[in-house]
Amino acid sequence: MEKYYRTEEVETIALNKLSMEVKEGEFVAIMGPSGCGKSTLLNILGMLDDPDAGSYLFNGTEVANVGERKRADLRKHNIGFVFQSFNLIDELTVYENVELPLIYTGVASSDRVKRVEEVLEKMQIMHRRNHYPQQLSGGQQQRVAIARAVVNKPKLILADEPTGNLDSSNGNEVMELLTDLNEQGTTIIMVTHSEHDARYSHRIIRLLDGQTVMENIMI
Amino acid sequence: MFRNYLKTAIRSLAKNKSFTLINVLGLALGLTACLLIVLYVIDELSYDRYNDKASRIYRVNEDLKLGGNRMQYAVCMPPLAKALTTDFPEVEDAVRIKNAGSMHVKKGTENIMEKSVAFADPSLFNVFTLPMINGNASNALAEPNSIVMTESAAIKYFNSTNVVGKPIIIDDKGGYKVTGVIKDIPQTSHFNFDFFISMSSFPDSRSDRWLRSDYNTYVLLKPGADPKRFEAKFPGLLRKYSSSQMQNELHISLDQFEKGGSFFKLNLIPLTDIHLKSSMIGELGANSTTEYIYIFSAIGLFILIIACVNFMNLSTARSANRAKEVGVRKVLGSSRGRLILQFLSESILITFAAVVIALTAALFLLPQFNQLSGKQIGFNSHTLIWLAPVSLFIIAVVGLLAGTYPAFFLSAFEPVHVLKGKLRTGLKGGGLRSFLVVLQFCISVFLIIGTLVVYNQLRYIQNRDLGYDRNQVLVIKNTYELNKQAATFKQQIKQLPGVIDATLSGFTPTSSGRRTSIFNKEASLTDQSKSIFPQSWYVDEDYIPTMGMKLKAGRNFSLQMGTDSTGLIINETAAKFLGFKDPIGKNLYQFDDPKFKKVVTYQIVGVIKDFNFSSLRQNISPVIFQLRQDAGLLSVRVKTKDIPALISQIKTMWHSLTPADFDYTFMDEEFAASYHKEQQTGTIFLIFTSLAIIIACLGLFGLAAYAAEQRTKEIGIRKVLGADVSTIVAMLSKDFIKLVFIAIVIAGPLAWFAMQKWLQGFAYRQAIPWWVVAVAGGGALVIAFMTISFQSVKAALTNPVESLKSE
Ligand SMILES: Nc1ncnc2c1ncn2[C@@H]1O[C@H](COP(=O)(O)OP(=O)(O)OP(=O)(O)O)[C@@H](O)[C@H]1O
Ligand SMILES: [Mg+2]
Repeated sequence: MEKYYRTEEVETIALNKLSMEVKEGEFVAIMGPSGCGKSTLLNILGMLDDPDAGSYLFNGTEVANVGERKRADLRKHNIGFVFQSFNLIDELTVYENVELPLIYTGVASSDRVKRVEEVLEKMQIMHRRNHYPQQLSGGQQQRVAIARAVVNKPKLILADEPTGNLDSSNGNEVMELLTDLNEQGTTIIMVTHSEHDARYSHRIIRLLDGQTVMENIMI
Repeated sequence: MFRNYLKTAIRSLAKNKSFTLINVLGLALGLTACLLIVLYVIDELSYDRYNDKASRIYRVNEDLKLGGNRMQYAVCMPPLAKALTTDFPEVEDAVRIKNAGSMHVKKGTENIMEKSVAFADPSLFNVFTLPMINGNASNALAEPNSIVMTESAAIKYFNSTNVVGKPIIIDDKGGYKVTGVIKDIPQTSHFNFDFFISMSSFPDSRSDRWLRSDYNTYVLLKPGADPKRFEAKFPGLLRKYSSSQMQNELHISLDQFEKGGSFFKLNLIPLTDIHLKSSMIGELGANSTTEYIYIFSAIGLFILIIACVNFMNLSTARSANRAKEVGVRKVLGSSRGRLILQFLSESILITFAAVVIALTAALFLLPQFNQLSGKQIGFNSHTLIWLAPVSLFIIAVVGLLAGTYPAFFLSAFEPVHVLKGKLRTGLKGGGLRSFLVVLQFCISVFLIIGTLVVYNQLRYIQNRDLGYDRNQVLVIKNTYELNKQAATFKQQIKQLPGVIDATLSGFTPTSSGRRTSIFNKEASLTDQSKSIFPQSWYVDEDYIPTMGMKLKAGRNFSLQMGTDSTGLIINETAAKFLGFKDPIGKNLYQFDDPKFKKVVTYQIVGVIKDFNFSSLRQNISPVIFQLRQDAGLLSVRVKTKDIPALISQIKTMWHSLTPADFDYTFMDEEFAASYHKEQQTGTIFLIFTSLAIIIACLGLFGLAAYAAEQRTKEIGIRKVLGADVSTIVAMLSKDFIKLVFIAIVIAGPLAWFAMQKWLQGFAYRQAIPWWVVAVAGGGALVIAFMTISFQSVKAALTNPVESLKSE
C-alpha cells in the first residue's frame, strides 16, 4: 500500500509500498518512531481512509477504494476502535456511549440492554454506567472505550496507543483486557511506543518512514 | 488602553471571518430594511407639515345623512368659505380649492392635456406655504383668468420661470395670463397641482347655494383659537344660511328635515390628519391610512428584533469557543473588568461596522425604494438631525445588548474548569438562545402568513365576480367634445368589425367621478324618511349589455318606449333601501326645477343585480340609472386580436369629428389602478417579509455552523462507530427543527387571528384558507431545514480522521 499527503509544496510519503499480512486471531503490535506512518496505516486498516495505491484484502475481499457507504457498513459490523485519547462522547453517559455502535448496526433495544450490561460487567465498569466520561479516571474511560469497541463483537480491534494516556497499572489492566479478548478469538492490531506493552502481542511490526523494516515473532 | 482593546477586538474578529461576516451582514441587512421603513413612515407622517401654519389649518368636511344613507364629504358649499371669514372672528382666512379636472394647455401649436389643474381663491398663498418665485402672492389669483403655475410647469411651457405677464392658451381659449410661478408643491402634500386658475374665472364659484357641496374648503384659525369651540358654532351657521333655501327648494323646514332622521353637519379635520385619516367623497387625491403605518412600523420593529437576536445568538454561541482564551487570560492575570471591556469593545465595533454599512446601503437603495413605494424620499440635513443620534443610539444599545451577555458570562469562568477540559458551555445559555430562535421564527411565520393572506385577499378582489365584465372594454373619454354627434359616433363604432357593443354613459363602474341625487317615494317630497340618496348615473339603452350586467327583474331601457326618459333602473341595494317588495312599476319623485315646485314622476322599469363600483372595502350603495344619450364616456366592448389597429381606426373617426384630444383607457386597467396602492403596499410587504426571513435564516445558518463546529469531534466518533451521513444530519438538524416547529405552533394561531382582524376592513373578503397556515409552516420548516442541512451535511461528510486528530 502507498499513501501520500500533499500539502502546497511538500509531498509526504506516509506509507511507502508497505506490505503486511495479519492472520485471523493474531495479536499484532506496530511500533516505530513518531511520524513513521503508524496511525496512517491503522486508519487505512480501519477503513477510515483510502490508500492511494495498492490493495487491501479484508477477510478475502478487496476494500481499497470501495466507496464510503460499503466501507462504513463493513466497518461497523467488523471493526472496533480504541484510541489513545479515548474519544468518548462527553454528552452521553457510559451506558449510552457503549450502546451507540449497537444502535448504528440496528440491534433491537431489548437486545441492546443485555449486551451493553454484559460487556460493562466484563470490563468491570458496570457500577459507573450512569456517569459521564468527565467523571471517570483515565483508566476507567479507556475501559469504557474498549467496552464500546467490543460490544458489537467485531472480528478486528484496532488500538492506537491505548495506554498512551494511562499510568502503568491502568496500562497493564488495559493490556490484560486486550489479551483476554484476543484469547477469545478477536484479532487485535495495536500501535504502541511501549516495548512493555508490545510484549503482550504475538508479533511486532516495526515501521520506518512508511516501510516495514523488521518483524519480531514473539511466540 | 482603549487602543489595545480595539486592536485585540479587530484581530479576534479577523480570525473568525465567516462569523464576523454573518454577524455584520445580518445586522446591516436588518438595519438597512429598518431604516428604509423608518424613512417611509416619517414621510407618511410628514404630509402637509411643510406648511408654516399647518397647526392652524383645518379642512371643513360635510357629514350628511339622508334617507338612511350617510356620507362624508371632503367638500363643502360654495359660499361657506366667505361666510366663515365674515361671521367668525377666530377665522384668520379661508380658501376654496376646486379640482378642475383636465385642461388643454397650448404649447406652440400643440395642445397638451394637463390633469393637475385647480381653481383657487386668492387667499391660497396666505393659508398654504407655496413660495412664489415670481409674481405677487397677495394678488396673483385675484383677477379672473389669472394663472399661477409651478416651476416645472413654467419650464415645460416657457423654458423659463420668469414668465409673469405672459399670455397662455387654455382649452383653445386665449385671455389667460400667467401671474405667478411657485415652487413645485412638495410630494408630501395631500393635493398636488401644477396649475392654479383664479377662482373668479369660474362663474359657478359665485353660487350662493347651501344645499350642494363641491368645494374643498380650508380655514386658517387665528393663533390660540380653539377648533372645538369653533366647530360648535357650525349648526347655527348652517341654520342661518340654509333654512330659507331648504324651504324654497325642498319645501320643508330644517326642523322637519332633521325630524325625519336626516341631518347635515359640518366638522373640521386638522390639515395634517388628512393624508392618513381622511378618505371621503371629493378628496383632492388618494390618501393613505394609518393602518399601513402600523403594519410597516411593526415589520420594521420585527426585522430589527430578528437582526439583534441573531447578533446576540451568534456572539454568545461563539463565546463558548473562547472559553479557553478566557481561561488563559485569567491565569495570566487579566481582571474580570478588563475581559468585560474586551468583549464589549468587540461587539460595539461590529455594530458600528453594521450601522455604517446599513447607512450606505440605504442611501444606495433609496431610489429603488422610492420607485417601489411611489415616494420621493431623500437624505438631507433634516434627515441627519435625527439619523445621527439614532445611529449612535443603535450602536450603543445593540452593541451593549449583544456584548453584555457573553462578556459577563465568559468573564465569570473559573480558569481551572476551563483549562481542565472541555467546558460544556455549548449547552449553557442554550435556553436563552433557543428562546430567541423561537422568537425569530414566530415573527417569520407570522409575516409569511400575513403576506399570504394579503396576497390572497388582493387576488380575490381582483378576480371576484363584480357583477360586470371589465375585460376587453375600451373607454373613450370626453365624448361631450362631440356634442350632438356623440350618438352618431357610437353607431359608427358599433359597425366596426371587432366591436361587440358600445354605450354612452356618465360613469363606468371603474370611473372615479360620481354623481348623487335625491329621490322621494312620495310626490309631496316633504317626508325625508321616505327619501333615498343614491348615485344616479346617466346611461343609454346599450349600457347593461355592453357592461355585461344582469337584470334581476323588469326590463332594460328601450328607445321604442317613449316614456323611458322618466324610467329608472335601480340596483338591488337601492330596492332594499326603498323597501319595495316588487319595485317594478313603482314611482319615485324628484324636483325638476325647485323654483317652480315642478315635480317629476319617475317609474322604475328594471332592477339590476348589484355590481361593485367602489372599493371592495365598502359595501355596495344604492345606484339608479337614468336614460340619456349624451353623457361623456363611450365604452366599447371589443373582441379582436388586433386592438391597436382598432384603436387607431376609432381615433381617425374621432378626429374627423373633432380636433380635441383622443383620450382613452381600458376598464380593467382603470380597475387595477384603483388597487394600485394596495398592490404597491403588498409588494413592499412581501419584500420586507422576505428580508426578515432571510435575516432569520442567516442567524440559523450561523448557529448551525457553530453547533456543527462544537460537535466536530462527536461527529467523528459517531462516524467511526458506524453512523452514516443521514443519521448525523438528522442529529444536527433535530434540535433546530424542534425550535422552528414550536414557533409555528405559537405563531400560526396568532397570525390567524391578527389577519382575521385585518380582513374585517373589507366588505368583501375571503376566509383565510387552511393552506395558508400549512404553507407558511411548511415553508418555514423547509427553509430552516435547508439552511441547517447545509452545515450539517458539510459536517457529516468530513472525514472522521481529520476531526479526531484535532484533539
Ligand atoms: N493530514 C495530513 N496531511 C499531511 N501530512 C500528514 C497528514 N497526516 C499525517 N501526515 C504525515 O504523514 C506521516 C505519518 O503520520 P502518522 O500520523 O501516520 O504518524 P505516526 O506514526 O502515527 O506518528 P506518532 O507516533 O507521532 O503518532 C507524518 O510525517 C505526518 O506528518
Ligand atoms: Mg500516531
